Amino acid sequence: MSAGSHQGCVDLTLALQDVCKSFGGLRVLEGVTARFEPLRTHVLMGPSGSGKTTLLRLLAGLERPDAGEVVRGSDVRMGMTFQEDRLCENLTATANIRLPRPRLSGEALERFLAYEREAMAACDLSVDARPVRDLSGGQRRRVAILRCVLAEANTLLFDEPLKGMDEKTVEAVMAFVAPLVAERTVLWTTHDERDLRFFNDPILWRVEGGRVCAC
Amino acid sequence: MAGPSNKNAEKGGRLRTWAVRLVCVLFWLAVWGLAARAIHARIILVGPLEVLARLGNLAVTGEFWASIAISLGRVAVGYVSAVVLGVALAAFASRFSLVRELLAPLMGALKATPVASFVILVLLWVSSRHLSIVIALIMALPIVYTNVLEGIRQTDAGLLEMCDLFDVRGWDRVRLVYASEVLPYFRAAVTLALGLSWKAGIAAEVIGLPDFTIGEHLYDAKVYLDTPDLFAWTLAVIVVSVALEALITRVMGWAMGRWEARP
Repeated sequence: MSAGSHQGCVDLTLALQDVCKSFGGLRVLEGVTARFEPLRTHVLMGPSGSGKTTLLRLLAGLERPDAGEVVRGSDVRMGMTFQEDRLCENLTATANIRLPRPRLSGEALERFLAYEREAMAACDLSVDARPVRDLSGGQRRRVAILRCVLAEANTLLFDEPLKGMDEKTVEAVMAFVAPLVAERTVLWTTHDERDLRFFNDPILWRVEGGRVCAC
Repeated sequence: MAGPSNKNAEKGGRLRTWAVRLVCVLFWLAVWGLAARAIHARIILVGPLEVLARLGNLAVTGEFWASIAISLGRVAVGYVSAVVLGVALAAFASRFSLVRELLAPLMGALKATPVASFVILVLLWVSSRHLSIVIALIMALPIVYTNVLEGIRQTDAGLLEMCDLFDVRGWDRVRLVYASEVLPYFRAAVTLALGLSWKAGIAAEVIGLPDFTIGEHLYDAKVYLDTPDLFAWTLAVIVVSVALEALITRVMGWAMGRWEARP
């Protein structure tokens, strides 16, 4: 279960070495070793509670392993779509999407705003002055996905991003998102095997019983 | 989508609400007028029409407006200082638990101590001209501090984690996440503190008696048993208070609307 870690001088390594993680008495990951090949799409599947979210959070540095080591290359810049939307309720969709790029101003800001509007239109989201608290659950989900894919990140983590979306919206969103993520390292967790059709030659992983293995 | 019929219904509902409020106010004015007639003793109670007439007489004098401007200006200085200081202290307290622990008894004491005690104490330290500034500050500070600190502490941990992941830090995090989360708490605090500062500032003037202030006129009305003057100045205080609260609510609503609606 290994893959290359360096692309030229850029270090995009992402790996777990003998990682264990428990919450209280519940052991979620047990001696997990995995290397995620850079600039490829990795689809992680497994039943609910199997540790997919924990694995992403460990890689993102949001959790510390009880034992073992999480290796992140020095050039890894992450973006993530969490299971919850995690949006700033009082800000507009565009302001939320732009949040990972807080320093934009002048012409660069105008260019990015135009890009945001294009992205939102492609994902069937209307651009207006409403704060996101006034948006529906599906609309908020799309804002969270766009925030992740439009971030200046080379490694994107998606934690069941399409959950709860209807088929037509999923098709529209993925038609826009799939080409954008194609040349970045992507870790995509899902229950739904149908998600695989959106990716070109993804690497499949199975997360179950505290173990992670490539299929 | 909200159509014209919905907007008309909303407008009609608002008009009805205002009509009900107006009727209630007129009812109590009528009760007041009837009570004044029944008592028939100006020194104890004057009717609303006489109070309005007296206020009209006062309103054409320069001293009336000068007194309101001086009282309002001093309370405003204390209030604005409290807002700035309260926000700064809350930011420090949220960052450093030692600051929070140190300030907790002080803020508790400020909230619990009667305003009259502060007025007498502060009069020993500063001239009566500056009394209402200090009292307005003392009244507003714990409210702003407590609310803003609570807003910061209630900021969604998930949002902060999201900021960590996207490497949004420092001032960017403050203006994009904390400001957005704390703004509703701040809005409630400044609206509440404004009324309290204004009333406490006037009360301090009644004790400290600085020249050309509303408090001095209220004191004079008491000394000369001039009940119409007492009611007229009180009405002026209420009108200023309501106007200030409406102004600050509008300004905050406008500012929040602009903040939320920016692309």
